[in-house]
Amino acid sequence: MCKFLRYFFYKNFAFTLVHFWYSFFSGFSSQVAYEDWFITLYIVCYSSLPVLLVGLLDQDVGDKLSLKFPKLYLPGQQGSLFNYKNFFISLCHGIFTSLIIFFIPYGAFLQTMGQDGKAPSDYQSFAVVTASSLIITVNLQISLDTSYWTFVNCFAVLGSIAIYFGIMFDIHSAGIHVLFPSAFTFTGVASNALRQPYLWLTIILTVGISLLPVICIQFLYKTLQPSVGDKVQRNRRKYEAEEEEKKKPTPFQRGRRSRRSAYAFSHSQGYADLIASGRSFRQRPQGRRNPQESIREAPQAENI
Amino acid sequence: MKKQTETLNRPDNTAFTQQRLPAWQPMLSAGIVIPGFVVIGLAFIGIGVALFVTSQNIQVLERDYTGVEQNSDNDCSRCLNRTNCVCAVQFNLAKQLEGPVFFYYGLSNYFQNHRKYGVSRDDYQLSGDTYYFENPEDDCIPYQYDSRNRPIVPCGSKANSLFNDTFRLYRLVGGQKKQVPFDGKGIAWWTDYNLKYRNPTLVDGSLAKAFNGTVKPVNWPKPVYELDTSDSSNNGFLNQDFLVWMRRAALPGFRKLYRRISEGEYADGLPTGNYSLEINYNYPVHGFDGRKKVFFSNVSWMGGKNQFLGIAYLVVGSLCIVMSLVMLIVYAKYRFPDEDS
Repeated sequence: MCKFLRYFFYKNFAFTLVHFWYSFFSGFSSQVAYEDWFITLYIVCYSSLPVLLVGLLDQDVGDKLSLKFPKLYLPGQQGSLFNYKNFFISLCHGIFTSLIIFFIPYGAFLQTMGQDGKAPSDYQSFAVVTASSLIITVNLQISLDTSYWTFVNCFAVLGSIAIYFGIMFDIHSAGIHVLFPSAFTFTGVASNALRQPYLWLTIILTVGISLLPVICIQFLYKTLQPSVGDKVQRNRRKYEAEEEEKKKPTPFQRGRRSRRSAYAFSHSQGYADLIASGRSFRQRPQGRRNPQESIREAPQAENI
Repeated sequence: MKKQTETLNRPDNTAFTQQRLPAWQPMLSAGIVIPGFVVIGLAFIGIGVALFVTSQNIQVLERDYTGVEQNSDNDCSRCLNRTNCVCAVQFNLAKQLEGPVFFYYGLSNYFQNHRKYGVSRDDYQLSGDTYYFENPEDDCIPYQYDSRNRPIVPCGSKANSLFNDTFRLYRLVGGQKKQVPFDGKGIAWWTDYNLKYRNPTLVDGSLAKAFNGTVKPVNWPKPVYELDTSDSSNNGFLNQDFLVWMRRAALPGFRKLYRRISEGEYADGLPTGNYSLEINYNYPVHGFDGRKKVFFSNVSWMGGKNQFLGIAYLVVGSLCIVMSLVMLIVYAKYRFPDEDS
């Protein structure tokens, strides 16, 4: 749940602060840096499903191992997974990502031309490049945060990216512009911008700079200051193998299941019946035995 | 009885609801991260080198002709406060500018990305809907109706601010000026020309009649149906220069393609020599501290000259390699000192 919250703040900061940086270069006119439809669909469609599934399905340590290591409950008791400090870290991460998502395309667009010399650095291509980098970064970030990869998680992440490109090409098509000329004005932008290798290289660089420091820092933290959860996760296979070992039955076939007594009276029947019946030491759940009855039965056996 | 109510409220015992779905639980182990960083670092360095080298090989010639600074190569400062002024920029090419050469005009401190500027247009008019010729949208205010309440087509400040400097390039050969031919076909996006903008249907075979009852934008010298009378496929809303202008720029300093030089003897580029660019200086920018420039450039697979991306890739690639070394050292020294849980 804490992962869900932290990621939610992060992705929304990354998305919104790009407009803040862009305003320095658009005369502070509150010009949006993305297409209007992208803004509408970002929260609903493009980035919500993966994080929802993480909140529902993610397990850093399995249920059996959780029971085995009570220390794993400490982070919950101490509130160490979501507090002011974590929120602040999410905020800083979001700010850093938004800076990268704006300024790398800004630098790339500063003085350039398209591959065929046409339409250098226009606003709509800029919007497409920043939006695409944002979606890819944010979805890959959630996949870094996911520690329990089910097929629904895979489907959600890849599906979100695919839906984004699918809807974008639809909105930028000619057909929809003919129907609603004023509402859909980004005609042809996706196909024009995304067929230029230069803009793809920009997107790749943006995604790389946003994610690589995160991987590096996570790795260093896990090596230098692993939390309890990290340590359990690291040796998860070992612990799970141990659990499996314990569950297996012992090679000797006698055990709890067998009711046979260990005494071997070769000359007489022995007290096997007394012990094996379990009357003397086990309480049966269906009603209590009449004390007179049990006492009466015991002397019978001794009389043999 | 109690058992039945229990089973009614009991959650399903499926893999999904009991969180028992089969899953892969990867760990960020050193065996993946460190080699991964090295590979990514090397790839980025490779891409960076390719971009940087390509960018270095692109030739760009830039000249500022606003006339604010007294330059020795142009006399455009006398055009600052005059109308209908023609000035010339002289330049010399020491090395051949390889073709095909693209000729751009550039503006700086010009906020085409201002929100109100971008909103000030009527997309219905521009797709040829004549109803909106008589009733332009309110977004176009103050360029919606003129002083005599006649509708403006195309309305809005974006269309009104159409760049109207024109250029002619001459090559000085043996004391004589030879004009270099410009090619203005297909300088706008194919999708803009063919899909996004449409002229209204002709009335009696004439485009001008389709615009009956409307007036030209306030700052235009000619109405939209006279933008190019010599070529009907370049007239009206489909005029290439108009489309290039309407494609809004992202940043306050931008360039827009004006013409291509790729015909005849200049197919291989502009040879060395002296050139004179004559400009009809109409567009006023010094009022808001703007600048006007011209660029001659060739392009490559990565587009125009921009060293930022190449340098950025190189820096990031090298940082990746450095960080992978750091992580390797950290991993080797501090390898899981406490193995117990």
